[in-house]
Amino acid sequence: MIHVRRVTKSYVDLRRGQFVALASISFDARPGEIFGLLGPNGAGKTTMLRILSTVLQPTSGHASVNGFDVLTQPSQVRRHIGFVSANTAVYDRMTAWEMVEYFGRLHGLAEELLRERMEDLFSRLQMNEIRDVLGAKMSTGMKQKVSIARALVHDPPVLIFDEATAGLDVLVARALLKIVAELREQGKCIVFSTHIMREAERLCDRIAVLHRGHLLAEGTYAQLAERYGDSDLEEVFFRLISWHDAGDPAAADQVYALPKKV
Amino acid sequence: MKWNNVRLVFLREVRDQLRDRRTLFTIAVLPLLLYPLLGMIFLQIAQFMREHPTSILVLGAEALPEQPALLQGAAFAEQFVMPRDQGRLRLTIQPLDDAGSPSADARQRAQRVVQAGEFDAVVVFPADFAERLAEFHERPRDEHGAPRNADAADVIPQPEVFVNTASDKSRIAADRVERVLELWREAIVSDNLRQRNVPLAATQPFQVVNTDVAQERSRRAAAWSKILPFIVLVWALTGAFYPAIDLCAGEKERGTLETLLCSPAQRSEIVWGKLFTIMVFSMATSVFNLLCMALTSVFILGRIAHLDATAAPAAIGMPPWSAVVWLLLALAPIAALFSALALAIAAFARSSKEGQYYLMPLLLVTLPLMMLPLLPTAELDLGMSLIPVTGVMLLLRALIEGQYVEALRYAVPVIAVTAVCCLVAIRWAVEQFNNESVLFRESERWGLSLWLRHVIRDRHETPTISEAVLCGLLILMVRFFASFAVSMPDSWPRFVTVTVVSLISFVATPALLMAVVLTRSPAKTLLLQRPRWVTLPMAIALAIVIHPAGVTLSEVIRSLYPISPDVVQQLHAVESLLGRAPSLWSLLIVLALVPAICEELAFRGFILSGLRHSGHKWGAIVASSVFFGATHGILQQSLSAFALGLVLGYLAVQTRSLLPGLAFHAVYNALVLALAWNADGVHHWSGWDWLLTGTGETAGYRWPVVAMSILSTVGILVWFRGLPFQPTAEESLHEAVVRGERLAETPEM
Repeated sequence: MIHVRRVTKSYVDLRRGQFVALASISFDARPGEIFGLLGPNGAGKTTMLRILSTVLQPTSGHASVNGFDVLTQPSQVRRHIGFVSANTAVYDRMTAWEMVEYFGRLHGLAEELLRERMEDLFSRLQMNEIRDVLGAKMSTGMKQKVSIARALVHDPPVLIFDEATAGLDVLVARALLKIVAELREQGKCIVFSTHIMREAERLCDRIAVLHRGHLLAEGTYAQLAERYGDSDLEEVFFRLISWHDAGDPAAADQVYALPKKV
Repeated sequence: MKWNNVRLVFLREVRDQLRDRRTLFTIAVLPLLLYPLLGMIFLQIAQFMREHPTSILVLGAEALPEQPALLQGAAFAEQFVMPRDQGRLRLTIQPLDDAGSPSADARQRAQRVVQAGEFDAVVVFPADFAERLAEFHERPRDEHGAPRNADAADVIPQPEVFVNTASDKSRIAADRVERVLELWREAIVSDNLRQRNVPLAATQPFQVVNTDVAQERSRRAAAWSKILPFIVLVWALTGAFYPAIDLCAGEKERGTLETLLCSPAQRSEIVWGKLFTIMVFSMATSVFNLLCMALTSVFILGRIAHLDATAAPAAIGMPPWSAVVWLLLALAPIAALFSALALAIAAFARSSKEGQYYLMPLLLVTLPLMMLPLLPTAELDLGMSLIPVTGVMLLLRALIEGQYVEALRYAVPVIAVTAVCCLVAIRWAVEQFNNESVLFRESERWGLSLWLRHVIRDRHETPTISEAVLCGLLILMVRFFASFAVSMPDSWPRFVTVTVVSLISFVATPALLMAVVLTRSPAKTLLLQRPRWVTLPMAIALAIVIHPAGVTLSEVIRSLYPISPDVVQQLHAVESLLGRAPSLWSLLIVLALVPAICEELAFRGFILSGLRHSGHKWGAIVASSVFFGATHGILQQSLSAFALGLVLGYLAVQTRSLLPGLAFHAVYNALVLALAWNADGVHHWSGWDWLLTGTGETAGYRWPVVAMSILSTVGILVWFRGLPFQPTAEESLHEAVVRGERLAETPEM
């Protein structure tokens, strides 16, 4: 269960001064559903998810994960999430097994439970043949599998995937999407960010469109299609972004009004 | 903090490093190769120096006297050649006028041959050498035996040795020839004396007997106590640096840091785990290098001793065992300090390449600290013991030399300073791990004007931590340089001018200027707000009540760490100036009120306000007090000023105003002055003897008064604690995090 209310993140930049990366973002993600964050590069998706993983702190606003505040209870939040991102690499000089074991132990899992979980994960993710392969020797797909196993080892109720399919070939990407869908069936609360429309369309129960730090629209695929009169998500996406960039106040009002209707 | 997580991080990092070939190479393989290699080279040179035969050209041998004969066939006479040079001198003997040339040409020829390397050295005897020697010998003398015609250079015949000092071979050759000539000259002298019936002993009316009181053991200790710590420290630093870069900047580069940061391990646990890893490698590098060096040197010294029994280096011998034990004990805190520093710097670096750049500055800062104790004048005293690395090295030296009492006295400041530095470095490293702009920093185009504009445009209500630290350093630096420029005033009016001007321009002005330029609210920065009126009398009462305790503290500090005689003399000079003050009131204004205003503006105003952004109230108070203490010229004063700075900082934080602290500061200074005024024997006030004791140096309070003082101080501070405390945003966040984490942990317990 993720609860985000009016989260703002701004940086001080040497050239631009105050730079707003996230402007008053609010959304909720519930257990048993996949919440999609859709946005072009630089929209603020990674910033938002880093705030949820407590690596970044919001400038203002509140966010909580499973009832724990990201600002004041960061280690509790981290205990209850599994975070997979293009930025969370695997250790070069550790084997797949050691890597997952290490994070399991950091989560304080008992040795017996940890072993059981790992055997289960390694067979579910078909990782048994890379058990003793060092990170440096793995392909991108193998690394991503290790990352997922690392994020799942403590069986967290909340999972965050930040552009998790980036750089993967079709086969591995499909396998990953399948795993994500399975996790939804297990009742996990999943946040999935991507800039690929088809992934969002196929996988996400609800989608939020993020652009330049602003949340432009939020709803199920059907709701968005109905509201903007187009069944093509890509079209809807373009329309929202060009309205926003044109700075049309009427359109902007409409856009901001949307999330409340959901 | 969970130690289990620290252990997990530590074990992983150690395993990771051990799997890295580069680390293993620098720690284990490099010293294994390096020292034997260096040793071999050293041995080769030593062997060369001893065994290599030298070729020598002797010009003008025909001019040599018959007795005693220097030459024996085509070699030097055996009795003039030292045993170690035996058989290593190859002579070529040529007459002076080989080609019928005069002696000026012989010198040119000698020069040419040596330069060309045809011979290693050339000895030229002047053509009339034997005659002049005989003439010198026969010359009529006065009753004291000195030649009547004392134009010495004209009289004494001079053989000349030509050497090319740029060449090792030539230098060795010249040394050997000179040794031969020396022995020969001695033979001539004793011949002369015998002929004149003067006993040989007359040339040496007495002999100096050198009695070395140092025992063999302590002589060895003294030699090793200078060499060993230096080697150990240099390797400890090098051994810390490379793993630190790999563990922080390297992880950032490889993208594994974010993976670790979103695990439940807390930042502090990660930092401690990494710190222990770096420490282990730092110590291992140091110990392993020491071991390899010791083994090599044992071998080399053995070989040299075998080569030549009279060789000097063997006399040093092995370091005593106690030295090694102390060294290993001292290695732990030093390695901790270096590791923490390296960790903080490496955490700041964006990439390993950037990290490498920081090695040089780090070395440049720490090397002088390591070299300082090698100075002959460096001794363990209070000043030295407060310098981070130097103190440990001097303490170590005292321990190796067996001066345990001296070491014990300064162990407390040395350990305290090292511990504080370690903790500050560790905290800094934790801050780096918490600092988003450091973790996810991207290269930005940097320009001076861009940056200046940014500093002014994006300034905050109160200064940032770095601005506060900058202000503190600026004040210290300006005061340091001004102390050279301003001479000791010789009259009261001049003293007033110097004191007031330096306080206003070197302390108050930097703080005021920085507050106006760098902050949006100078009034809030400098705490120029009206406090609750009752805090003012309470602050004054605190100053009065705390004074006996403060005076006693300074006395204790002075008796533990006596002030050096030079400084005492300076202090007396100042005191006699103060005695010339026209009235107590003028004294109070110059030395109580003005310093209070200036110092409060700087230290409790700008600096403390900035430091409070760290989120730790006491950390900020302690740091501002360190700056406050450091501005006091004499170390012993700095220590008591530091303690008072803590109280002043607490007053500023609790009352949110500068005024109570200002009142406290002024009244406290006034009491110190009044005490000195009363004790100087001129202005003695009678009727205070129930409170005060002694005069002059020993002036102080009676002990029941001191006990009362401590009790009432605590009471008043508790009252201040009851005031509503207003935390900064960072302090509230820190508190909320502590509370939040505790709340979350409890139900699970």
